[in-house]
Amino acid sequence: MFSAGRDWLQAARASAVKDIRTALTERSTLVQSITLPVNYMIMMVLFVLAGAHDPVAVVMHDNGRYAQQFVAALARTRTCRLLIEDQAQARDQWRQGTLVAVITIPAGFDAAVSHGRPVQIPMAVNNLNEDLTHDAVWAARSAVTSFYAHVFPHQVSLVPAEHDQYPRDTGYVPFLALSVIVIALMVSGLLQAGTAAARDWEERTVKEQLLAPARPSAILAGQMAGAFAVSLPAAVAVVAAVVFVAGDHPAHLLMAAAVSLLTLATFVAAGTAAGTALKDRAAFVVLLRAIPVPLVFLSGLFGALGFQTAAVRDIASALPIHYAIVLEQFAFRGLRTGTAGLGADALIVTGFLVAFAALAALAHRLSRASAASPGA
Amino acid sequence: MTATAGLWPPALALHQVSKVYPPRRAWWWPPKTLGEPVTAVNELSLEVPPGVVFGLLGPNGSGKTTTINLITGLARATAGRVEVAGLDVRRHRREVLARLGTVPQETALLDDLTARDNLTFHAGLYLPGVPRRERAARIDAQLELAGLTERQSSRVGTFSGGMKRRLAIARQMMHDPELLILDEPTLGVDPQQCLIIWAYIRELATDRGKTVLVTTNNLAEAEALCDQVAIIDHGRLVTIGTPRGLRLTHGTTVLSVQLRTAGGVPGPALEALRQVTGVTGVTSQAHPTLGGTYTLTVTARGGSPAAAIATAVNGHGDLLDLTVREARLDEAFIALTGAATRD
Repeated sequence: MFSAGRDWLQAARASAVKDIRTALTERSTLVQSITLPVNYMIMMVLFVLAGAHDPVAVVMHDNGRYAQQFVAALARTRTCRLLIEDQAQARDQWRQGTLVAVITIPAGFDAAVSHGRPVQIPMAVNNLNEDLTHDAVWAARSAVTSFYAHVFPHQVSLVPAEHDQYPRDTGYVPFLALSVIVIALMVSGLLQAGTAAARDWEERTVKEQLLAPARPSAILAGQMAGAFAVSLPAAVAVVAAVVFVAGDHPAHLLMAAAVSLLTLATFVAAGTAAGTALKDRAAFVVLLRAIPVPLVFLSGLFGALGFQTAAVRDIASALPIHYAIVLEQFAFRGLRTGTAGLGADALIVTGFLVAFAALAALAHRLSRASAASPGA
Repeated sequence: MTATAGLWPPALALHQVSKVYPPRRAWWWPPKTLGEPVTAVNELSLEVPPGVVFGLLGPNGSGKTTTINLITGLARATAGRVEVAGLDVRRHRREVLARLGTVPQETALLDDLTARDNLTFHAGLYLPGVPRRERAARIDAQLELAGLTERQSSRVGTFSGGMKRRLAIARQMMHDPELLILDEPTLGVDPQQCLIIWAYIRELATDRGKTVLVTTNNLAEAEALCDQVAIIDHGRLVTIGTPRGLRLTHGTTVLSVQLRTAGGVPGPALEALRQVTGVTGVTSQAHPTLGGTYTLTVTARGGSPAAAIATAVNGHGDLLDLTVREARLDEAFIALTGAATRD
């Protein structure tokens, strides 16, 4: 029994070392496995930054106390980047199309407000992109409410009484950063494992493994371990960027590490299954670029799954990435964004890992016949 | 047809083995099959005694590689039984694989890794329970045997075809298999490297007692290497024997007899030659400048009847010259499998 276990480990180790060494000599895969996850991270961050920083010019013809407080209320909405400009500057930029909106604080704003007279705040809106337009319009309306609630609290009888579920607010970028970690783990694991598995079939080196007296499970486990080891640096780089650059320190360090490793292992197993089934690196990479990212958008990337429609909830529930995001949100920030308990989420991700590994074994077994088919 | 050498258990035995590949099934609706079933191996029976180099010859598509796949268990026989050293391949696949060394046509080497890394990987899979130090010693020994010690740290992708073949064979020898299977061992290798590889294979059989099964289309290789050969075609065994036996039985020996006669056309000499055992044809041609001199061309099967021919023409003229061109294995091969291509 002991000897069988030792032999299994020896074969798994040989398989892992072979894949690690091969990957290290294959520069294109190595570069891709680092750059692709990082690219996704940069893409997502830019996406968020672009949405949260619509340039909106404020032209102040009145610099009184109320006018200043109104602009401060505008700034508190955090949906746009306010630029205080004079009229000429704002006009030039408007013509160049570099502004989403121009809000003008009219002369006599303070006097009108203090005497309770109605004030019209002119707002020119570039409706090129409806989403950005809505952000600017919403910011202006929200600023009016916020301004009155702060400056004339006795005049506003209807105010929201906010009770936070969590002790601290979470910014959109930090919230999304954790989803980005999961995307990076997914892309990195899938890419490395899938290309390694497909390479063996493409270059026919798989025959050496198929004709070995070692157990196929050992060879497969070794392959996965190799891919895991090679994709780990990319995963660590992305997690480090989130922790040290974005300053998003995990609330539960061990859990964050465990969830990240479990997620990476799950996608390594998925990549091994897909690479073995496809047997072609080019086809695998095309598939990798086409499928996972849309699925990520359906996995509770932008908010709690409970906020989504029923259809999105159903799709997300079938994807491991959703559960991984939920676990990362809890590990880093103590947020609960899933619909099941954390234990159930962890079990489901583990279940996916086992299922993908089983699929990889099945694909490997079925492929043995194809290695012997005419023309193979 | 079955070949039996009498030694038990044979290194390899195929008993009425067939392999039929079913037609492909369309993946779209409605379900249907595409093409016809392909019978790659058809009731093949064969026994290979231990310690010989055995050649499996046949035209392209004759079933050689499928036969290897059946022996290694990569393919499952539709009917019949394959045994290696008395072990049923289907029931004892892992034990059989431990006794086999298989070098496929494509060598299946890891081009991005060094020669040593390739052998180390193989050792990990094929040498369970062997301590690391002994594995390293075996790697050294195989590199030495393959003449690759100097290049052990070079990437295999930089090797010549011959070096790759030698490394592939060395790799499969590391676990000391009882039966070494070489699928087209000198495919794409230059003549100089061929000689080295042939010597290496012969050494494995004669000095180390290994049984070697070689598939090849190169009949010179079969003749140089093999103690026995089997010719298969359309998945069936056509014949089996020693290369010499096959070429003598199925090839044609051509004898050229130069005879000077006193009385013109050597009719009696021709008649006497036709009576010689094994002679299948005789033609004559007058020498263009030397009057009364004729060249008689005699074709024969079953070996060279040179002595009998010299005796037969005695008394019918002066025998000036007698040259013999031995029967060739390629002639025997074509005689047995036909000249039509299989593409």
